Amino acid sequence: MDIFLGLLQVVLREGMIYGIMAMGVYITYKVLNFADLSVDGSFPLGACTAAALITAGVDPWIACFVCFAAGCIAGSVTGMLHVKLHISDLMSGILVQTALYSVNMVVTSKKAVLSIFNMPTIFSTGLGGMMYNSALDQWAWVIMALIITIVVKILLDLYLKTRSGLLLRAVGSNERFVVSQGKDPGNMKIIGLMIGNGLVALSGCVLAQQKESADASSGTGMVVMALAAVIIGEAVFGRTKKLRGTTMAVTGMIIYRCCLTAAMQLGLDTIYLKALMSGLFIIALVGSRLKNERSARNVIRAAERK
Amino acid sequence: MRKSLVSKVIAAALTAAMVMSLTACGSTSNASTGSSAAATEAKGSSDAGETKTIGVIQYTTVPSLDNCYEGFVKGLADEGFVEGENLTIDFQNANAEVSTADTEAQTMAQKKYDLIGAIATPAAMSAYGACKADGIPVVFTAVSDPVSAQLVKSLEKSETICAGSSDQLPLEAQLKMIRAFLPEAKKIGILYTTSEPNSITDLETIKGFAPDYGFEIEAVGVTNGSEVAAGAESLIASGVDCINNFTDNNVVNNLPTVLQAAAKANIPVFGSEEGQVYDGCLASISIDYVALGEETGKIAGKILKGELTPEESEIYTSNEGAPFINTEVAEELGLEIPSEYQDGTLVTTGSNK
Repeated sequence: MDIFLGLLQVVLREGMIYGIMAMGVYITYKVLNFADLSVDGSFPLGACTAAALITAGVDPWIACFVCFAAGCIAGSVTGMLHVKLHISDLMSGILVQTALYSVNMVVTSKKAVLSIFNMPTIFSTGLGGMMYNSALDQWAWVIMALIITIVVKILLDLYLKTRSGLLLRAVGSNERFVVSQGKDPGNMKIIGLMIGNGLVALSGCVLAQQKESADASSGTGMVVMALAAVIIGEAVFGRTKKLRGTTMAVTGMIIYRCCLTAAMQLGLDTIYLKALMSGLFIIALVGSRLKNERSARNVIRAAERK
Repeated sequence: MRKSLVSKVIAAALTAAMVMSLTACGSTSNASTGSSAAATEAKGSSDAGETKTIGVIQYTTVPSLDNCYEGFVKGLADEGFVEGENLTIDFQNANAEVSTADTEAQTMAQKKYDLIGAIATPAAMSAYGACKADGIPVVFTAVSDPVSAQLVKSLEKSETICAGSSDQLPLEAQLKMIRAFLPEAKKIGILYTTSEPNSITDLETIKGFAPDYGFEIEAVGVTNGSEVAAGAESLIASGVDCINNFTDNNVVNNLPTVLQAAAKANIPVFGSEEGQVYDGCLASISIDYVALGEETGKIAGKILKGELTPEESEIYTSNEGAPFINTEVAEELGLEIPSEYQDGTLVTTGSNK
């Protein structure tokens, strides 16, 4: 039972921290309809920036804001390449991801791993530290992750309801509408990419603070993980219209991490993990497509009956 | 109708996940079920006491790390912990992904294993991060610079929950050997990958020793496998007298490219591990990774027995390496094997296969 609770802790904590990244990818992939591959670079950017700032003695909470800002800058570059220089979405993502590798090495002053063991982090000082030293023990980390994720989710939901947020959603589904409103869809895309990558970097920052080290190569596989979370979340909860996309992304990530941990617990050799994840991914994709087709057919049938 | 389809899809997804996991489980855990039965039988007769369970995380699959693991198991056996008798090993490979290593380490920590072995720097970082709160000892190996990675306070005394061994290359001995082979040489070319911490540490070290042996170091950093060829060409273009490799995973995996470029320019390539000499490097002062792993396994065994605490432990470093020389390559280049190295291990290309 202890082991089960312990594993649950790991799944929830990782699921929520990576869930911040899933929300970022939800913005670019679902809301903007933009396949953004710069995520593989902006995740370690957040992690490395956090580790470098904390090593330099910066307050860990301020580090979180700086990381978000750093991610925003990375996202704006992807956006500029796509909107202003007319480079395709995939290509601009790849270019930024590649360039970010150099940026990360500069940030870590040429070290591939940067440790911040026993230095103040949001998990070891202030509220996090207080909870950790109480009876909560390691559940404190889960609660901290939960608090950060919920705050980010609420802010994001609030933003999506503002005028700018509505325009952002319009860009993804109907660009002409945005033009007819006298707004530039290109600028909205850049803003969306900035928010998306900012959240991804924030996720990297929080993870680095929790595990107390950052690795410049930790971005490998992040795009796929985040996309899988967004799609799984939609496939499982898509029919309940009450759940918001952001909530679905975070829950999708928790389900994804849960499957991964369960597979490892059942003794699956780690070399098969990728195949398992692709399998889950395909099932979720096909599942949501079938569902959409069926609901479209239902609409037509209902119309015919009238 | 709509509802049932969605639930069917979810059910299918979960079933598929379970079936896949269980199938793999069947194929991989046979050995461990057998071994736990054996462990119960051997329990009474073993003198090391009760059965211990440890986890081992290997960062990726490369020959030197595989050798480390082989030695690690041997070292544990030397201390009386035999896998399948009184020791259960949960071995996990992270397939070069930091997030996988993290999950593995955290899972092992939650299962309260007696000890966690970590092979290569990223695995050690994940293991230390995950075990710090619970105080589970971490025994690492193949970490070049455990002090700068903050795994331990100093090489003399760890003062953390980590113990283990460092695979810092015997670079001074290597330079001495290069000087013996090439008395006239001035410039040593080095190709390294900027994301590999070991290589960066090695580069700093070799730059420190080079003037003592009258060498100049010309280094070119690459970021991935596709840049190795161009990197080698640019080194040769800058007029180096030889190329020296580290245990840089990316460069070693693309060794044939480096060797071809060097052969065209008729200059030798020095390796950092015996495997590279068998693959066509002229010579190397090699660390024996099996022996390094074995020493590490012994440290782990002592910690399991309670004879050693990680906090008090000293980090094992293998400072002396053994020379390996490829006679075939020496002949092609028209080089004499220096007299002081003639008692080293003399091999020819591919003779280890």
